[in-house]
Amino acid sequence: MDSYWKTLAVTATASAALLAAANISAAQDKPPVKIGFVTELTGPWSFFGTSCVAGLKFGEEQINSPGKRKIEFVITDNQTSPAQSVAASRSLDVQDKVLALSGPTSSDTGLAVYGYAEQNKVPFVVPVAAFPQLTKPGSRYTFRLEPNAAGWGYAIAKFVEKQKPGGKIAMIYSDYALMRAITAGLKYQAPLSKLQIVADIAFPQGSNDATVQAAQVLAAQPDYVVVIGAGGFDNTITNQLLDIGIKPQQLIHPFGITTQVMNWGKRSVGSYYGTFFDSNLDSLTPEGRTFVKDFTAKYGRPPSYGENFCFVTAHVIREALDKNPEAADDREKFRDAMSKLKTKETTSDIPIEFDKNGARKEYIYFMQMTDVEAKSYKAKQAFYAEWDPEVIPVYTLVK
Amino acid sequence: MSNANWILFLSTLSTGLILGSIFSLVAAGVTIVYGSIWMPNAANGQFFLLAALFGWTLTVSWGIHPAIAAVLVIGVSVPLSYLLEVLLIKRFYDVPNRNISYFVLSLGITQILAGVFSLTYGQWSDQFQLPPLITGITFIGPFPIANNRLAVLALAIAILAGLFLLLRFHRYGRALRAVFQNRDAAALRGVNVKASYSMSFALGNAVIFAGGILFALAYSFDLTVAWTMAITAFAIMIIGGPGSVLGAVVIGMVFGFTQAIVSVVASPTIAAFSYLGAMLVILLFKPSGLFAK
Repeated sequence: MDSYWKTLAVTATASAALLAAANISAAQDKPPVKIGFVTELTGPWSFFGTSCVAGLKFGEEQINSPGKRKIEFVITDNQTSPAQSVAASRSLDVQDKVLALSGPTSSDTGLAVYGYAEQNKVPFVVPVAAFPQLTKPGSRYTFRLEPNAAGWGYAIAKFVEKQKPGGKIAMIYSDYALMRAITAGLKYQAPLSKLQIVADIAFPQGSNDATVQAAQVLAAQPDYVVVIGAGGFDNTITNQLLDIGIKPQQLIHPFGITTQVMNWGKRSVGSYYGTFFDSNLDSLTPEGRTFVKDFTAKYGRPPSYGENFCFVTAHVIREALDKNPEAADDREKFRDAMSKLKTKETTSDIPIEFDKNGARKEYIYFMQMTDVEAKSYKAKQAFYAEWDPEVIPVYTLVK
Repeated sequence: MSNANWILFLSTLSTGLILGSIFSLVAAGVTIVYGSIWMPNAANGQFFLLAALFGWTLTVSWGIHPAIAAVLVIGVSVPLSYLLEVLLIKRFYDVPNRNISYFVLSLGITQILAGVFSLTYGQWSDQFQLPPLITGITFIGPFPIANNRLAVLALAIAILAGLFLLLRFHRYGRALRAVFQNRDAAALRGVNVKASYSMSFALGNAVIFAGGILFALAYSFDLTVAWTMAITAFAIMIIGGPGSVLGAVVIGMVFGFTQAIVSVVASPTIAAFSYLGAMLVILLFKPSGLFAK
């Protein structure tokens, strides 16, 4: 009898192994699933595009484990140009026959790909672009990982409401679509949170100096100053506010990436910045810590939320395909798989789930800077908020 | 006057002076090159950025003191200019209507430099900041101003003064002005016109590089600064009168103050367009520029 069971067990194990091997072989025999990754490798936004690709590459290595059908990201430069983004999307769609599009890290290029994707029914996974209209009502093929920018403004109001009930806020920002969306959210939520906006100063693109406006902000005597400059001007505004006597503890940057935080430097220690992922978070998963360690070792700086969203994009696509293998060769099925997906960010365990428009349950951390070194910085979590994408009327606030 | 008003007034004054002197330097560099060799240098913004990025490399990556870095940046512009002149610029000296050829050539240089910066610096950071020349804050009445900005302002004014003295009193400067006014007559008076071309190309670029490194010492910057500076420098040169260094300096200062004052009384957005609007109005009445001879 023993020998009967032994034979049966051996046969079953061998069959299972054979079946698994056959499945592995079948998965590996199939051509790779191609994802078109249209991003900013050159042009003014090249830092964000190349950083995104750096994060994606870490993810791509992990998701293509043996036995799984390979996912290949076809990376294409959009030159930070909406027109080039559409041309690249068309080429990836028609010639490379990709399953889905992804990649933009700018709202301008993201909106260009969005238009193409929705019109041509190509699923579009947006890693890092925050303009609200990317998930406007009626969107069917677009799924966005980054919370929308108007929501960040909502979250700032909630943060100030907690820190200083009835507080006064000054806003000083570059006049870009992203900044307009953030301030629109803040201006909407501020009276609801019983906060007062005491200065609202917008700079055109290409501005260099904010000394005079820093003096105006000082005169308005705010409790907090929301600073949102574009590129190098962000740091100029920050320095000039500090020069004129605003305290670091009064400064709130709606977003902070590694290079920004290190450029703000030691004199900004005590100030706050918003983020969706940070190397200093206590809540990082083991995978998140490994990602931070490996990325820092390779690039000499910790990753920011942009790199994280691109890293997570690879995992999200893998998970959607693992749960729905038939979606690997069918765009409609992949779209359905994405819309049904319920997962978590591998790096921080934050839930990922998309609403009917492709927007996810939104969240933000506010970190407070505690130290800055030559190639790293320290910060502690000061606030965390989650909200429904339509907690404020984001799609009518920002057209 | 209340403290708040004093602060507003002095901040407007300091912004006008610092921006104005940097605008003046860049526009003077552009107009020196245009006045002598008829090259409307569209690449001036990229040269400006090259100086700023080189300064960043020297100070942040190599740890050199910003004052030494500033001298090195301005110094390196001279051999670079000579190299560029020998390889490209010189070949057009005898071409009739060469300003069009030069314009196209400088657009090509712009594209190449923009591409190189995008593929190198653009992938390392989205913003750049140099360490200050001097740390600390000085109070002028109730107005706190960073010592670094005062140092940048002093250096910019010193360089502009030096440029004026050179052009007005030095033998080379007088020869250069003679070439600006009438190169045939200058040649008849014994001026080596082609040698003055080489010198003026190097001098013009050195002044643009000085503007770039001083800007980088006063402000954080990113790669887009090249485009805004190129447009601003051209606008100043056109209003001041192509070839007029005095025009470049005066109008550069006017631009700086316009930007500072309009941003207080109206908004920064209106300030950005105000001087371009002023340019159109002035050109309606004096198409050759205010200081053209």
